[in-house]
Amino acid sequence: MRAQGSLRVCLLVALLGIANTSYAQHEAHEQHDQHGDSHQGMQFDSKGMVMNSNVDVLPQNCSAISEDLAFTVRAGTDYAIKNAGRIFGFSQYEFRAKPCARVTVTFINEDQVRHQWMLHGLPRYLYAQGMFHLEANAGETVSGAFIVPADDATYLVHCDITQHMEKGMKAQFIVGAGGEQLWSVPSVTADFNIEKRMPYGAYMLIGIVALISAALISFRLLGKNS
Amino acid sequence: MRAVIMLVLGTVLSALLFPPQWYPPKLRFTLAEYFGPPAAVSTPNSTMMAMPELTEPMCPEDLLGWREAQIIEGVSIAATLACVADNPYAIAAFVKGTNNVSTDTLMRAGLTPDALVKGADLDGDGDPDEIHIRLEIAELNGGSPDSQEPTAQYAIAPGITPGMWVFVPKSFGMATENFDSVIAKELLRSPSPAIRVEQGDRVFITLENTHYLPHTIHFHGVDHPFLRADGEGNDGVPMASELPVEAGQARTYELTPRSTGTAFYHCHVQPQSHILMGLQGMFIVEENRPNNTLQSMNIGAGQVRVVSQASREEYDQEYDLQYTDIDSALNNIIQETNDPARIQDWLHGGYNLASSHSDYYTVNGRSFPYSYRESLIVTEPNERIRLRVLNAGGEGLALHTHGHKATATHLDGVAQAEQSQVTRDVFWLASAQRIDLLLNTSNDGTHSYGPGVWMLHDHTGRGTTNNGIAPGGNMSAIVYRDFIDENGWPITRGEDLGMFFAPEFYRRDLRFGELEPSSAWSLFLLLRLLGFALALGLVLASIVQILMPLVRGRR
Repeated sequence: MRAQGSLRVCLLVALLGIANTSYAQHEAHEQHDQHGDSHQGMQFDSKGMVMNSNVDVLPQNCSAISEDLAFTVRAGTDYAIKNAGRIFGFSQYEFRAKPCARVTVTFINEDQVRHQWMLHGLPRYLYAQGMFHLEANAGETVSGAFIVPADDATYLVHCDITQHMEKGMKAQFIVGAGGEQLWSVPSVTADFNIEKRMPYGAYMLIGIVALISAALISFRLLGKNS
Repeated sequence: MRAVIMLVLGTVLSALLFPPQWYPPKLRFTLAEYFGPPAAVSTPNSTMMAMPELTEPMCPEDLLGWREAQIIEGVSIAATLACVADNPYAIAAFVKGTNNVSTDTLMRAGLTPDALVKGADLDGDGDPDEIHIRLEIAELNGGSPDSQEPTAQYAIAPGITPGMWVFVPKSFGMATENFDSVIAKELLRSPSPAIRVEQGDRVFITLENTHYLPHTIHFHGVDHPFLRADGEGNDGVPMASELPVEAGQARTYELTPRSTGTAFYHCHVQPQSHILMGLQGMFIVEENRPNNTLQSMNIGAGQVRVVSQASREEYDQEYDLQYTDIDSALNNIIQETNDPARIQDWLHGGYNLASSHSDYYTVNGRSFPYSYRESLIVTEPNERIRLRVLNAGGEGLALHTHGHKATATHLDGVAQAEQSQVTRDVFWLASAQRIDLLLNTSNDGTHSYGPGVWMLHDHTGRGTTNNGIAPGGNMSAIVYRDFIDENGWPITRGEDLGMFFAPEFYRRDLRFGELEPSSAWSLFLLLRLLGFALALGLVLASIVQILMPLVRGRR
């Protein structure tokens, strides 16, 4: 029964690859190859979906689970209010775990639209497409778990509905000492694209100062000559 | 005395070095009478246009077999010859309802179980009449706080990615093809899906506003009550019926259409920008028939792979054709800043629709040459084809059918009496108008001039350009089977269409000849001009020399 279940899950994940592919069909073939012997849990129903949940299979460089962590993450427009220029938000933007930790995430969606807690960059031999994914329908709660590898790394967490990451649903998951920090994590790191906004009257100020200094310098020079 | 000699010398030199092409024509004739015409000088070389390297196939291979006729979940899906075909699993789910297909089919379709729920058979005629559709809003080619490239990319033509907002069916997972790709998945595209319901269906349409700005849905030309049963507004017009749906919120619209026809749905918030940003789609009410097979959504419009019973009775094929125009100055605002407040500033006050005009023209979300991949009308002789045409753009559309005269059977969804149906080859559609055309491919000298590759396009000047460069715009074609290859690419007799797949062509980066003359000739001309300038300088200097003593002397 269990074997049959995991076979079905493999099939579903493989099919997911097809669903997400249009012109770049070669990508689908690559994804098929990676799913030979994976152990994903998959839930797909009216509440939402959980993809690649893993509570017991250790990553290759882990010998034991180092710690058990549980995060409860709330999502919705309410959590963006304190971040200027953002519309969607998570209740938490930075997560920390020890290498080889088992992390359980409970994801509560307080909006009336879908949201996701999608983590990228996990080893593909264990997690199809290298991701752990929670997706909650309006007002629903979903949860799942994953085990992080032993390497120090910073993983991207986001909601991949168009513009949800850009407009606030972006977080970083730091394992051990972490890797390179991500840009534009709300309330943590700055945006890379700096707003081209200047303070009011900036150009006039620059102009006036330049004119005055030009006048002063030329008067001085003229004065010496005469 | 020396100054006078210098003056004479300078004058003579400047006369000699004066570029001959600046001589007055009369003088040139006179000189030629004495000296004969000057020797031939080679003009700048024109070059054969360098064919840019193709970065993508004109017609991508159908690796997943989506073009073939197939039966999925008991739904018989017609074959299509479009190079890029719709996902047949999504089509099956749209016919049966996402609640009535297997998880396997939903996974392949990319749809959620509640995307399109088909319920009870209210009139007992063998088909479901309770329809609940959930629409989300996707932003294509949007901005980012980090990237310099647009996000969730959707190219209307090679290298052309204007920002867009579109209604999309409720889907799951990533917005892009995969994590390493920036290309939007196939469900997220322009135009918003064509929606089909049956006359008398109880239709619920829930807008789940996944976008960061407020939106509504207004059903233009579809029979719907102004208020819902519970007294809430139902017309989608913020000025008249209800507040818009805020980001992260949802609202359900209810309708039970009594009349049939081709109609239009669009967002009615800030209509000067939201409709043209892409929140626009076709809404079709089909006649009630027993055991009706309705493809409730047609992704990207185009050929209807599973047609309704009523259409089956009268037509061999059916196509949804949605035309629109895009002003990139409006659409690209969302790429300029990531701050929604700034975007709103620009949409409200920064952009002035009254002093702007469109630069891109699309049919079913693509401009030529991409329109050839999806929107060719492929026919055998003696077919009767139904074309449902919507002009959702801000400018008029003069739709011309080369080689055919079509008949307008319905105007704005209303059937026209036979004696008042107009048959002609250019149909004018003002903004938001719909015309249902009967395209008859019988070779009788009027309805059709026989098999071939016959263009189908907007005959206004700009309509067939991409930002002013032709061929582009909303160009498509009526192609007979003998003139199309097995991949669905037309067998044309003219230019190699490959050059139009090069982004440089529409970026105005291609050169058809050397603009500069040859380098030796340029050098000679430059030296001569330099000499002329020096001689002029000599003249001026000597004049100053001569005049200076006079001025000083007077003092």
